[in-house]
Amino acid sequence: MNRDAPAAPPVAPPARDDPYRIRWLPVAAVGLVAASALLAGPPLIVFALTEVMIFALFATALNLLLSYSGMVSFGHAVYFGIAAYGVALSITRLGWPMWAGILAGPFVSAFFALVFGAFCVQLTAIYAAMLTLACSEVTFAVVFQWFELTRGESGISGHVPAMLGLAPGVYGLVVLAVTGASILALWRVVHSPLGLTIRAVGQNAARAAALGHSRRTVQLIAFVISGFFAGVAGTLFSVFHGNVFPDYLGTLITVNGLVMVLLGGLYNFSAGIYGAVLFKILDNLLAHYFQYWQLVIGLILMAVILVSPRGIGGAIQSLARRLPGGHR
Amino acid sequence: MLLQQVLQGLMEGVTLFLIASGLTLIFGVSRIVNFAHGSFYMLGAFLTFQLHGRLWAGSVGGFLLTIVASALVVAALGVLFEFFVLRRVYRSEELMQLVITVGLVLIVEDAVRFIWGQDDVTVPVPAALQGALVVKGTYFPLYQLAIVLVGIAVLGAMWLALRYTRAGIILRAATDDRGMVALLGINQATVFTAVFAVGSFLAGLAGGLAAAFESVNFLLDSRIIVAAFIVVVIGGLGNLYGALLGALAVGVVKALGLLWAPRLSMVLIFLVMAAVLMTRTLRRGTE
Repeated sequence: MNRDAPAAPPVAPPARDDPYRIRWLPVAAVGLVAASALLAGPPLIVFALTEVMIFALFATALNLLLSYSGMVSFGHAVYFGIAAYGVALSITRLGWPMWAGILAGPFVSAFFALVFGAFCVQLTAIYAAMLTLACSEVTFAVVFQWFELTRGESGISGHVPAMLGLAPGVYGLVVLAVTGASILALWRVVHSPLGLTIRAVGQNAARAAALGHSRRTVQLIAFVISGFFAGVAGTLFSVFHGNVFPDYLGTLITVNGLVMVLLGGLYNFSAGIYGAVLFKILDNLLAHYFQYWQLVIGLILMAVILVSPRGIGGAIQSLARRLPGGHR
Repeated sequence: MLLQQVLQGLMEGVTLFLIASGLTLIFGVSRIVNFAHGSFYMLGAFLTFQLHGRLWAGSVGGFLLTIVASALVVAALGVLFEFFVLRRVYRSEELMQLVITVGLVLIVEDAVRFIWGQDDVTVPVPAALQGALVVKGTYFPLYQLAIVLVGIAVLGAMWLALRYTRAGIILRAATDDRGMVALLGINQATVFTAVFAVGSFLAGLAGGLAAAFESVNFLLDSRIIVAAFIVVVIGGLGNLYGALLGALAVGVVKALGLLWAPRLSMVLIFLVMAAVLMTRTLRRGTE
């Protein structure tokens, strides 16, 4: 560079890509691919894809806590399953019309998240995590044992027709629309001023407190939002099958959700999506051909942490950035 | 009946203490929340099954030796894991460390299924420890009395070691302030490996002892790890004597729960933990 050259006239800095903007192109592309697979794919694909979308939403809701708020939930299945019970009980016990019951589901989850969260945010780190586990175990036991209300192990079915009586592909489109809108809403939350506050609290509660943000309040808000969207996923899942069982709020759902987020990569908004897809592929492919697929997941988890802590999602995204025209 | 059940609970508490003590020692020094601790416990049980009857079959001494040998193998596996995997993530966030240990849980569970199959295996109690002591109509199964003795011996040994040996003093210091210990020129990596070895040994020991009265299968790890974490959380992470109290409390609550509300005994334990956590928080502000 020639040092004597006159200083370049001041120009407006190049319009940087706003990282908070929703990039509609990839969103639309994924949506289109999913929609055409739902409409044209064989039933097996349609069912698998519907389930993947539901769990992608569940994992993304969980990821709001894990990656941003500095909380770990070991009992998130409660907010998945209790929504399903909310739907079933409001229809069968309260005699609500079907659509009202279905709409009520996520709000039941949000209510439980508010009550349990109020206790859990009093604690931090592993203590808080253990309390979330306690809340979920106690709720599971109540649901399992209170036969008169929930019919226990035999579950409730018949209150909504499976898939609302729609064709699988059409119900898949409903799920695509709802999960898509929910995930975009979660994206907005993470990238809003509230989201910044949540992240500030998650990264350094003391500094956030110095700025006037109470850790407990902010974490409780995040917890309720996460619980609500876990409830949306649970509602979709229970309408998908037209039933509800205690297992919907059991440990397996919690663990699967956690594994999905971790496979997808912590601190990555899309972890839930990548994780749910990968998990389903591993579950379907490996479980059929290889009895010991947990072992494979364990090895992948370790490898992810040791080699690429940002997970599969992080690896894919850094590859995409290297493509010509990729976002930096 | 009530007394019987309380004693039963105390005995179970001793096993819980053995596993929880290792968990809390490891956390105290290295701040690792080790979910794989239950897997080491399970490995201890299965190795005991594998080795039993090979060393002076049937005698109490041979039985103890089998368990100690299994625990030593488990400790060696723990050291391998610490050395090759955990060591790389001491500087990572808590969550990453947790994921690594969860990964090991999944791997060990399937490895156990691969090696020993899905079915329960049993380890016979040595003849001399079968039967029970009857005092005024209350039964004390001899084997469980023996476990209590082992528990007391381990507790005593740990107390002596922590109080009087150089290693114990370093360990206590590292629990208080590991940075300070490093400043004094003590190699932290060695301390971490050593404490992981001791912790895994204790888990293996507990698993070996439990092999003779638990149904040993590949789900043993998830059954025990939750209880162990509850114990440790009640006692306060890193607090050895808190873990002792927590273990006895959980053992007794579980046993009484089995007496009064069999299907809710696990729920009772969770409620006790929640109550302890909340009262401690209300008193102290926050954990």
